[in-house]
Amino acid sequence: MSGRASVTELAGRLSAVVGARNCYTSASELLTYECDGLTHGRTRPDVVVLPGSTEEVAEVVRLARAAGRPIVPRGSGTGLSGGARPVPGSVVVALSRMRRILEVNLEDGWIRVEPGVINLDVTRHVSAAGYYYAPDPSSQSICSIGGNVAFNSGGAHCLKYGFTVNHVLGARVVLHDGRVVDIGGPALDTPGHDLLAALVGSEGMVGIVTEVTLRLLRKPEATRTFFATFPSTDEGGEAVSRIIAAGILPAAIEMMDRLAIVAAKAATGLDWPDVGAALLMDADGPTAEVEDLSARAVQIARDAGALELRLPRNEAERQLMWKGRKSAFAAVGRISPNYMVEDGVIPRSEIAPVLREIESMAKEQGLRVANVFHAGDGNLHPLVLYDAREQGQEERAEQLGGDILRMCVRRGGSITGEHGVGSEKAAYMADMFGPDDLETMKWVRAAFDPDGCFNPGKVFPSSRLCGEKPGPGGVEHPAVRSGEVQRW
Amino acid sequence: MVIRDRTATADDGIQGAVPRLVLEPGTVEEAVGAMARCAADRLAVAFVGGGTMLGLGARPARLDAVIRTGALSRLVDHAPADQVVTAEAGMTLAALNEALALHRQRLPLDVPFSSRATVGGVVAANTFGPRRTRFGGARDLVLGVSLVRADGTPARGGGKVVKNVAGFDLPRLLVGSLGTLALLTTVTFRVHPLPETEVTLLFPGLTPEQVRALASAWRAAQLEPSSAVAVFASDRLDLGVRFEGFATGVADQSARLLELARKSGRAGEQLDADGAAAFWRRHDAVRERGSLRVKIASTPSHLGDLARSWLPSLLGELSPSGAVIYPTLGIAFASGEPASPAGLAAGLRDARQAVGAAGGSLVLEGAPAVIRPVLDPWGPPPPSIDLMRALKQRFDPDRRLAPGRFVGGI
Ligand SMILES: Cc1cc2nc3c(=O)[nH]c(=O)nc-3n(C[C@H](O)[C@H](O)[C@H](O)COP(=O)(O)OP(=O)(O)OC[C@H]3O[C@@H](n4cnc5c(N)ncnc54)[C@H](O)[C@@H]3O)c2cc1C
Repeated sequence: MSGRASVTELAGRLSAVVGARNCYTSASELLTYECDGLTHGRTRPDVVVLPGSTEEVAEVVRLARAAGRPIVPRGSGTGLSGGARPVPGSVVVALSRMRRILEVNLEDGWIRVEPGVINLDVTRHVSAAGYYYAPDPSSQSICSIGGNVAFNSGGAHCLKYGFTVNHVLGARVVLHDGRVVDIGGPALDTPGHDLLAALVGSEGMVGIVTEVTLRLLRKPEATRTFFATFPSTDEGGEAVSRIIAAGILPAAIEMMDRLAIVAAKAATGLDWPDVGAALLMDADGPTAEVEDLSARAVQIARDAGALELRLPRNEAERQLMWKGRKSAFAAVGRISPNYMVEDGVIPRSEIAPVLREIESMAKEQGLRVANVFHAGDGNLHPLVLYDAREQGQEERAEQLGGDILRMCVRRGGSITGEHGVGSEKAAYMADMFGPDDLETMKWVRAAFDPDGCFNPGKVFPSSRLCGEKPGPGGVEHPAVRSGEVQRW
Repeated sequence: MVIRDRTATADDGIQGAVPRLVLEPGTVEEAVGAMARCAADRLAVAFVGGGTMLGLGARPARLDAVIRTGALSRLVDHAPADQVVTAEAGMTLAALNEALALHRQRLPLDVPFSSRATVGGVVAANTFGPRRTRFGGARDLVLGVSLVRADGTPARGGGKVVKNVAGFDLPRLLVGSLGTLALLTTVTFRVHPLPETEVTLLFPGLTPEQVRALASAWRAAQLEPSSAVAVFASDRLDLGVRFEGFATGVADQSARLLELARKSGRAGEQLDADGAAAFWRRHDAVRERGSLRVKIASTPSHLGDLARSWLPSLLGELSPSGAVIYPTLGIAFASGEPASPAGLAAGLRDARQAVGAAGGSLVLEGAPAVIRPVLDPWGPPPPSIDLMRALKQRFDPDRRLAPGRFVGGI
């Protein structure tokens, strides 16, 4: 392309900023960066740089821009929607070297960190003092705070505690022209527009976050957990509805259907019965309150038709129950050669009918779907099982996944509750939003990044980039394969 | 479609800026029509809900028309089982909470003037009350919005489910935007169950250090109050702490906090219903009365500065005067009538300087006309002001939506 510096020239300049060791151009080095957790969609970037400071990031951005290159920010690469997937000719800016914890203030309840810090390390850093960082994606032992900010990540406990956006107080951002801007800070309500709202969830499309100030919470005094089984997801869904209707706000309330339970048992050897549905609920807070809430919820589950109720006798038993729940996702690999995970949201009162609809949609395609989900907030994770060796199954699985998302939208829900839109779901945005809605969102992006140099091709529906084939894959994220984390 | 319009009177003015035209849409479609008309006629327009926060921000630089949302007052949809509600922007908080109470639910935004403050106004002005301690502010409760852009085009953002990360976050971006980016027509919120019971404890006559120590103690003990407010009483603070929820938990937490205080030699009492109502009225009076109303946002560890230095330098210039501190949020409000305008302006400037140096902000929520010309209601713009200007430029390139009312002259 004319006017563009050659890769070698650009890499030379970038190396001068970040050091040759932190600048990759060879095919073998670039391989890791061709995709994120969604491993089937791959695009090789031209250069990958790993800056070590805000100043280096700013300089890298200036150089990449001067060379006319798109810039793709990257954290740990665990995203499940192709958000950190490079575009052709791009410079990937990986923040994984920026892992310092900069400042902690427990009385005011905040911590300032670099974006490459791993989610769980924030909690580890303040745990001894009795504090924690609330958003807990299941990938928390590997995903980065920068990635969490970009995707507004949540976890099982966001029903009570909210998502990343509710826990970010401030950020330092490198903009398209290399300017460094501070947004927000430890004091609440900075006068002016809520730019943090624009930043969190912007999927790497407005700038590169190089520092984040996060809210820290005091740990709850007590947590009570129970596991309940039901003949079917109808009774399970009913129990969830009644618990919520009783005015109880669980810290987490998770459901699995028969197929997911079978898979979890196969993977963990837990002695769970062979039933149609299982619920796992956490209540947390001051001890007396939690015991009261938990007892009420147990009674409600009984009344709603629970077959069996189990209360863990100690923390180890509790952890085991959660392990079963968390492993359900990867565990479906034991009952199907391939699967793809969807991430749709429905009004929680419609869980039972939606699951029946998913089942009949699956039957039509001749496929099976296992369901493991955050029942309290209606965030479904349907796992579409298929066998890629069978002619046409992969396409049907993809079709089914898309139909499920569109059904979520029809029911008043969303195409993503936590995995983000990325490149994978951009096409479905048009099912959820009209052209004017999308245009308005683009204005927000353009205010930060007028030329669209950060992470182009994400979130907004557009024609596919050349040579890409969208679709499901059977390849696991390496961390899941190695058993380091459970996908969830 | 005929949109109600009329010639404006002085009562339709914003800080003395009186428009020519008042538009009073009765439906969302009419609101779109009203915005389209303003766009076609290139009218500078501001939005008025209950008119309770018009003192926030500066006087509009230009004002041709006002769109009053009061007739947009319907409850659009309430799904009790999903704990989600959608209301038109002009519905008052009180009316919304009355409708929610039928299903034992509430929107826990306990804002001042709730019988007049509207859903759209509360979101646009980012108003909140003591329950922010536990439930967060508007940005923590809003799920979706429909809006009308400056060009007259309707658009939506967010959704109607409690969890949703699809697309850029327009709902939260509009929180606190004070009508500078778009007209809100409906807002969808997450709602909470009404608590079975609530209890207020009073710890009178504390020093700032004692308030801070008690707050640390209850945090160490993992108690979770839904509100904590210290009301200024001459040179001491009367601290009220509220617990809400199921009776067992509330009784237990209240008893434990009283015990914690007793151990450190502080007397506290559980107020009866009348006593609690009286305490919260004292709080409300500070938030709702006075021609001067100020908000100071800092951090909890600056409680001493707030109570010993920043607030007194203001209160000395007001008579009568009042102040409340939300100690766990690091936020305070002061109000009253200025004794001498010159002294007050100087006091505000000094306080703002000190608060700013500590990383916080001092914003006027209401000010007498004599103060306005000598003091920017927002203070120095934050370092991210250029991004805010860029945002404004995209949303409202002709600067017709509440021009000049916002931070940095936006
Ligand atoms: C096993 C497994 C379980 C998971 N469970 C959950 C879950 O429970 N909940 C959930 O919400 N998600 C979950 N995810 C998805 C993923 O972990 C989250 O989206 C996570 O936030 C991504 O973080 P990352 O550091 O890997 O970011 P990446 O994948 O590297 O990047 C994600 C996005 O952030 C952008 N980005 C990264 N860093 C920056 C920065 N510093 N500045 C600007 N933009 C940046 C990228 O461009 C990209 O668009 C899971 C993923 C896996 C593999």
